[in-house]
Amino acid sequence: MSEFDAIVVGAGPAGTSAASKMASSGMNVLLVERGDPPGSKNVSGGILWGKDLSKLYPDWEKTAPLERFITNKVTGFLTEDSSISIDFKTKRFERQRTGYSVLRTKLDGWLAKKAKDSGATVITGITVDGLARDGNKVIGVRQENDVITSDLVVLAEGANPRIAIDEGLRQPINDHDVAIGIKQVFKFSEQTINERFNLRNGAGFAGEYSLGFLNNGVKAGGFLYTNKDTISLGVVIDIFDLRKDNSTYSFDIMEKFASHPYIAPYIEGGQLQEYSAHLVCEGGIDYVPKLYGNGYLIAGDSAGFSFSNGMMIQGMNYAIASGIAAGETAISAKESNDYSESMLSSYEKKLSSSEVLMDMRNFRGIQNVTWSPLVHEFIPKFTEGILYNMFNETGEPKKHLFEIALENFAGSKYDRKSLVLDLYRMMRRM
Amino acid sequence: MVLEIVVMVKQVPDSQEVVIDPVTMNLNRSMTRNVTNRADENALEAALQIKDKTPANITVVSMGPPQAESTMIECLARGADRAILVSDRALGGADTYPTGLTVASAISKLDHFDIIFAGEESSDSSTGHVGPGVAEFLGIDQITYCSKIQYEDGYVTAERELEDGTEVVKCPTPVLVTVLLNSNYPRRQTLRRKIDAVRKGMEVWNIEKLELKPEWVGVRGSPTIVRRMQSIKEKQREGKKVTLEQIPDLVKELYEKKIIREVH
Ligand SMILES: Cc1cc2nc3c(=O)[nH]c(=O)nc-3n(C[C@H](O)[C@H](O)[C@H](O)COP(=O)(O)OP(=O)(O)OC[C@H]3O[C@@H](n4cnc5c(N)ncnc54)[C@H](O)[C@@H]3O)c2cc1C
Ligand SMILES: Cc1cc2nc3c(=O)[nH]c(=O)nc-3n(C[C@H](O)[C@H](O)[C@H](O)COP(=O)(O)OP(=O)(O)OC[C@H]3O[C@@H](n4cnc5c(N)ncnc54)[C@H](O)[C@@H]3O)c2cc1C
Repeated sequence: MSEFDAIVVGAGPAGTSAASKMASSGMNVLLVERGDPPGSKNVSGGILWGKDLSKLYPDWEKTAPLERFITNKVTGFLTEDSSISIDFKTKRFERQRTGYSVLRTKLDGWLAKKAKDSGATVITGITVDGLARDGNKVIGVRQENDVITSDLVVLAEGANPRIAIDEGLRQPINDHDVAIGIKQVFKFSEQTINERFNLRNGAGFAGEYSLGFLNNGVKAGGFLYTNKDTISLGVVIDIFDLRKDNSTYSFDIMEKFASHPYIAPYIEGGQLQEYSAHLVCEGGIDYVPKLYGNGYLIAGDSAGFSFSNGMMIQGMNYAIASGIAAGETAISAKESNDYSESMLSSYEKKLSSSEVLMDMRNFRGIQNVTWSPLVHEFIPKFTEGILYNMFNETGEPKKHLFEIALENFAGSKYDRKSLVLDLYRMMRRM
Repeated sequence: MVLEIVVMVKQVPDSQEVVIDPVTMNLNRSMTRNVTNRADENALEAALQIKDKTPANITVVSMGPPQAESTMIECLARGADRAILVSDRALGGADTYPTGLTVASAISKLDHFDIIFAGEESSDSSTGHVGPGVAEFLGIDQITYCSKIQYEDGYVTAERELEDGTEVVKCPTPVLVTVLLNSNYPRRQTLRRKIDAVRKGMEVWNIEKLELKPEWVGVRGSPTIVRRMQSIKEKQREGKKVTLEQIPDLVKELYEKKIIREVH
């Protein structure tokens, strides 16, 4: 007999949700996390979108360590010395609270504590080395010279799924499948943040920008999120072009964003508290591996469940939703004492009828648009040029908008045909 | 006969994360996580190395608040057999004297002990008092600042690092040994042992169990009183690079400035 009903590798949002779901139904669950405390190795921007946690903890909005609820969403383009943005504020978000800013160091500790309270055995500070197998069946995990046995293993390792790759359960990571994220956290007083962003009563600001000031085709997005008394500032960089360009360094992009004339004033006087970097899962539906097999399930970033438009990232919500689905699948498996591949295939069915796989399928190939030169180079520079010419009073005779647009287009590297094609692709895919 | 070994451990704020508040110049402990004092990990490893060769039981003893549990579990996961946390409201604010008294009282409640290990000092207060204090309270011998510690037939042999050499000390048990930071490589915790550790858990003792009165321990039992804390700014000292040929001139200059003098 196995020592545990299930072993969960990784205590991020996916792993803690799976462990909590299973343990609260009475299953004997081991949750193993290499970070000590949980969250110490994790990075999100981060806004937790959606209400997936309600399914596990109905009162989570009162008890979880949430920073601010987002009422003000800004999407913008930054060029060398300009900023163009859409500033969307709505009272509706104040009532609905669809997104909360969170800090992973706090959130993950809370999630792990909830899993423990549900009855899971939570072990931190230990890295699982691999899986134990009997034929084509997973029968537990390997660590140092020991095997810990279980009927089911849930792999929730995050964006760098070493075990799943080493064990041949998923394809290795390609440059196009991941981006690199860098993030800094600056400390202020709560009041300073309220004043700087014009916020009240726990409301928050979430800004996402395409960085149109980079050279040599390097593409990156930036984000700025307000927490209670800190600001999270970060960049997400496309690895493929970064690798080709020897003159651009990832940390320079972070610095350039932080010192941009329209970003720097937001963080002025803040004390740097955290500096972190992490992979961001970007591969879309084609990067999703087979999600189940005899004795195992894959959830969260390890399964590629993440959605990004090159500026903002959603992943925690899918991690939680897939963790819960894995937990539910495990509960049925335990009831019928059957952890075979065919039994566990209901996991994929659950995900297919939920937002997790539906979003991924509907937005297949979105990364080709969001990481296109159109978004990261052409639109920022083109729009800036038009707006500048439109608003600038030089004393010269005024020109028509169309004329200005044509002039600016001529100055860009785009030819007309590929522009129309790219725009069409964008409209279809977004 | 099974050797009974005690290891004294303290949980401290992670010194790599300790931030100094730029305004008050005090340590800001609120943001730091708690870890096992690094020299105590070396002390535990010294005990485990003895256990590798001689049948032994290792008990870790700590005085500290309830959150020291993570340190106790960690010690069990590295291979200790038993963990005792002495925790009591009355123990708060202790200086090194009642800390030593409390730890010594806990050890004296054990059926038997042959060797007690402590770290050379803690990373957060660095007095190095507590180990020697415990030896004094228990009335046993002590060897301080040790590396290469061995046990054979009722004797502990250890090397003491001195400024001008090494001293090898051999001492019969019972003895208390304080262990140098980085004098060995602490073995890793394993998942297997950590699961067992979490299941086994630690014991928590209060001062009643130790038959100590509240006025003997904690802040009330502490002879030292902190009146003021002050950070001292290190004085910028004059520095100078000289070539080999200039050394005689330098010596002369230092001599004239009365920084060095002749001895016969
Ligand atoms: C810069 C950046 C910004 C982001 N912004 C957002 C955002 O605003 N909103 C959003 O929803 N998402 C955001 N994301 C994505 C989000 O962080 C991830 O999608 C999410 O964390 C995935 O959760 P997970 O549980 O699958 O993996 P993770 O959160 O990565 O957790 C995996 C855990 O497994 C542990 N682990 C791995 N291997 C082992 C092992 N062998 N043994 C033991 N433990 C192991 C790790 O230490 C880690 O704790 C962002 C990501 C980055 C990098
Ligand atoms: C703000 C502040 C003010 C202080 N003021 C004073 C003061 O005025 N006078 C004074 O004497 N002390 C003072 N202390 C020190 C404090 O009381 C000590 O932390 C405590 O008594 C232990 O001493 P230490 O940390 O120097 O340990 P050390 O003596 O350096 O530790 C040596 C070894 O003893 C063992 N050990 C130490 N503590 C424990 C424990 N709790 N449980 C088990 N084993 C242990 C460990 O093996 C450790 O490696 C102050 C501390 C602070 C933070």
